[in-house]
Amino acid sequence: MAEKLSWTELRRTLASRAGVSEKEANAFLTALNAEIVEALKTDKQVKINGLGIFKLQAVAPRKSVNVATGEAITIEGYNKVAFVPEAGVKELIERGGGVSSLPLPEGKQNEVSEVDPIKKLGSQAEEIVDILGELGQSPKEAEEPVKEPEIQEEPAKEPEVQEEPAKEPEPVFYAPQAQPALEPEPAKPEKKNHFLRDTMICVVILLALLLVGYFFLRSQLGNLIDSFIPNKAQTEQVAPIAPIVTKPEPEPVTAPNEVVEEVEAGEEELTPEQILAEFMAITDEAEEEEEKVEQPTVREDIYDGLITIEPMHEASRLTWMAKRFYGSKAYWPYIYEANKDHISNPDNIDVGTPIRVPKLTKAQMDTTSAAYKRILREAEEACRK
Amino acid sequence: MLTKDLISRIATATGFSKKQVEHLLSTNNAILRENLMAGKAVSLQGFGALEVKERAPRTIVHPRTGERTISPGKNQLVFRPVDNLKHELKKI
Repeated sequence: MAEKLSWTELRRTLASRAGVSEKEANAFLTALNAEIVEALKTDKQVKINGLGIFKLQAVAPRKSVNVATGEAITIEGYNKVAFVPEAGVKELIERGGGVSSLPLPEGKQNEVSEVDPIKKLGSQAEEIVDILGELGQSPKEAEEPVKEPEIQEEPAKEPEVQEEPAKEPEPVFYAPQAQPALEPEPAKPEKKNHFLRDTMICVVILLALLLVGYFFLRSQLGNLIDSFIPNKAQTEQVAPIAPIVTKPEPEPVTAPNEVVEEVEAGEEELTPEQILAEFMAITDEAEEEEEKVEQPTVREDIYDGLITIEPMHEASRLTWMAKRFYGSKAYWPYIYEANKDHISNPDNIDVGTPIRVPKLTKAQMDTTSAAYKRILREAEEACRK
Repeated sequence: MLTKDLISRIATATGFSKKQVEHLLSTNNAILRENLMAGKAVSLQGFGALEVKERAPRTIVHPRTGERTISPGKNQLVFRPVDNLKHELKKI
């Protein structure tokens, strides 16, 4: 900006406004500036009510390249003085300028510009005088017109998210989800005893129906299993892995319910093979819970436990998983070792294959140990096959 | 440091009473605000200058919806320290 209020002008204005001599005003202003500088050095921050905050900000060192030689150099960190205007002051200055005279460019695709009607400077001046009076008491009254359209959008989305949790606690009778139906019960008895009784009856009837359906389908599917014996080999491969991925069911009553639900849903959409596979997986879960517990424990003599099981992503590698979980690619042979029962070539793993990530002991983290070298050799050999 | 501390420090440095300093400071702030609002820069000798910079209007794209809106230009208040202060504070 070309216009500038010089030091002398400031001094003179201050002297006449505050009713002091120019000399005194000068003494005050000099002391003010000196004290701000001093305070920046000691406290790194000076707050001046009615204006803003002066801060000493640290700029971190960063790496750069010498443009002439291509050499990597480090630009050293330094401190800089930053000024953060007080909220009310900021708003006033943002609106105050000559930007209003600029025409808004138009013609871009589907643009929605909800810019507040921009006021002429004359009416602004009046407003400024009003707001200035109020500034002492309420500096935050001024509104920011710029961000309004963005802010309005977001709250519109939130209710959608909030609705989902709101739906779940409602008593659900139609779906065979026994758990959500049971949960709201403890909260209700004080309010409606009749409702509670009805709910109980409904739930009991539903459970009975589901049990009958479960046994019926089970006997039906028993026949199916026989007719799909060649597929059994496939399903057995899936079965031992699937139970690890799903969470263990604490309630034995709900497990059969889920089986029926899944099978019923499956009958509509899936092919018989898929139903079979699912069915096998789920029944195995219920019957062979001991096996599920055993799976990780088998490795407990080698590993510290299991971090997680995650499916293979399209662009992932065992080395990258190792980097992510252990911090170094060097530990990838352990991941292969923990999964070698269903991975033949660590270089070529099918997408979606569940990968167990074992927890490593301190001894295993040592890449110079003989055990690590042996596992590494094994894994590398598997790659060559 | 807060305004209160600043006032008492100026008072001891100049020999004015705290009330006087407070009055001077608020008057000074009012003058600064008025001038800055009118788009004038204010130079503070030995310290720096408070300036108003114009930010031109620009089109912004909503990252999720791809919607284009015009962000109106605004004026921004910036502080530019005097050179020797800048260098003095760089390394402390």
